[in-house]
Amino acid sequence: MILFFQTLISGLSLGSIYALIALGYTMVYGIAKMLNFAHGDVIMIGAYSVIVAVMQMNMPPILAIFVSIAFCALLGVIIEFLAYKPLRKAPSLAVLITAIGVSYFLQNIAQLIFGTQQKFFPKIISLPSVTLGTIEISGITLATLAVTAIIMIVLTLFINKTKVGKAMRAVSEDKEAAELMGISTNRTISVTFAIGSALAAVASIFYGATYTYIKPTTGSMPGIKAFTAAVFGGIGSIPGAMLGGILLGIIEQFSKAYVSTTMSDAIVFAVLVIVLVVKPTGLLGKKISEKV
Amino acid sequence: MLKVENLNVYYGKIHALKDISFDVKEHEIVALIGANGAGKSTTLKTISGMLRSHTGSTTFCGEDISRIDSYKLITKGLAHVPEGRRIFLQMTVAENLEMGAYTNGGYIKEGLEDVYNRFPRLLHRKNQIAGTLSGGEQQMLAIGRALMSQPKLLMLDEPSMGLAPILVEQIFDIIKELHSQGTTVLLVEQNAGHALEIADRAYVLESGRIVLTGTGEELAESEEIKKAYLGG
Repeated sequence: MILFFQTLISGLSLGSIYALIALGYTMVYGIAKMLNFAHGDVIMIGAYSVIVAVMQMNMPPILAIFVSIAFCALLGVIIEFLAYKPLRKAPSLAVLITAIGVSYFLQNIAQLIFGTQQKFFPKIISLPSVTLGTIEISGITLATLAVTAIIMIVLTLFINKTKVGKAMRAVSEDKEAAELMGISTNRTISVTFAIGSALAAVASIFYGATYTYIKPTTGSMPGIKAFTAAVFGGIGSIPGAMLGGILLGIIEQFSKAYVSTTMSDAIVFAVLVIVLVVKPTGLLGKKISEKV
Repeated sequence: MLKVENLNVYYGKIHALKDISFDVKEHEIVALIGANGAGKSTTLKTISGMLRSHTGSTTFCGEDISRIDSYKLITKGLAHVPEGRRIFLQMTVAENLEMGAYTNGGYIKEGLEDVYNRFPRLLHRKNQIAGTLSGGEQQMLAIGRALMSQPKLLMLDEPSMGLAPILVEQIFDIIKELHSQGTTVLLVEQNAGHALEIADRAYVLESGRIVLTGTGEELAESEEIKKAYLGG
């Protein structure tokens, strides 16, 4: 029973990280109709920027966190502007290949600056652990869960209630019609990249705090897992990314605890395949038939 | 109010609009009629910046708008209800209307009241997802959404398409009412009979060219039009 609850909590925590990253994938897909495969590497850049801010610039941790979030948001906007915007009318394959190129570019830049050796991620969050009966939950796990929950609530309100959020939904449904309403699609896409990359930066802080070491390829595995989570939940759907991320984390941890550590990834992807066979649009993905 | 001069638009190598020139004066209803593929929708799309013309110019209220970004036109008083309505199917009726007032935020409350007065059916369905509306309701929503920007010129692309005859009557009544309240209308229609009935002037398009022009009455009486578009 203890193992069950500990696995559940570590699954929720890992799932929260996946969900934060998956939100970036799914929002960008929803608005710009592209898969930004460089998104995972923004996590890596976010983690390195915390390292630089804390270790080399001696910033207080809380400031370093906000600097990292702002830096990633800006990076996301710049990547979009330089790499993807010129391809707005290009075939989607060209955009996809460009995204993979951007991914390698970011990894190589990181190698050039920080070397290929892994770097220690500073202990910027030190929270006391909480004991519930016989289960001990680490402070960082609690922080991950709490912050992710808050972000999800705020993001949902933002998308559903604010003018910018509604404009994002309008653009995601019909770009041309949105432009006729006076909504600039270019600006909306920039905002989406900024939000997605900022969420990746938040994920990077929890990832770094949980796994403590960072190297230039750190972003690719959580990036792929989060992409899987986004597809699992229904790509383009924000609640889908949240659900998909959390479920993926839980499945992964339970596979590790109860089945086999080496097989866990295989199980995760097998579940994805089964879900897509049964429901090709993902768990919460929807297809609306249009009236003509 | 709107002056279009020498538009030439290409889809790849296809020459879709050939030297299109026409104008719309304040308080007029002007109709563009013609068969499928004659270039009517292409003309509207070019005016609203979704397509670019190789030559010529579009002037709206004295300002050259041929190179302006599409999304800036609504603030100048030009609203376009596109073909197929293009409402946001996954958003509620009220949200769709709010999007119509995206650049006209101060008007939302008053505008919603005005639109709900015109289309009481939308009031009953205001919290419903737009994708669940019937075709006629969707068209009303599309027109209502455009009205939320308080346009000087309303461009309507095939507002009667796919609607039952009784709804077609309703939509044309709404257009007449808007016109009598001071809105200038540029109407694209395949339903030539109805369009000519309410239009002050009309232009007939054929394979990307304007082949005939006159007042609505004149064209409705013309033998060529009767033969080609009014079924005898």
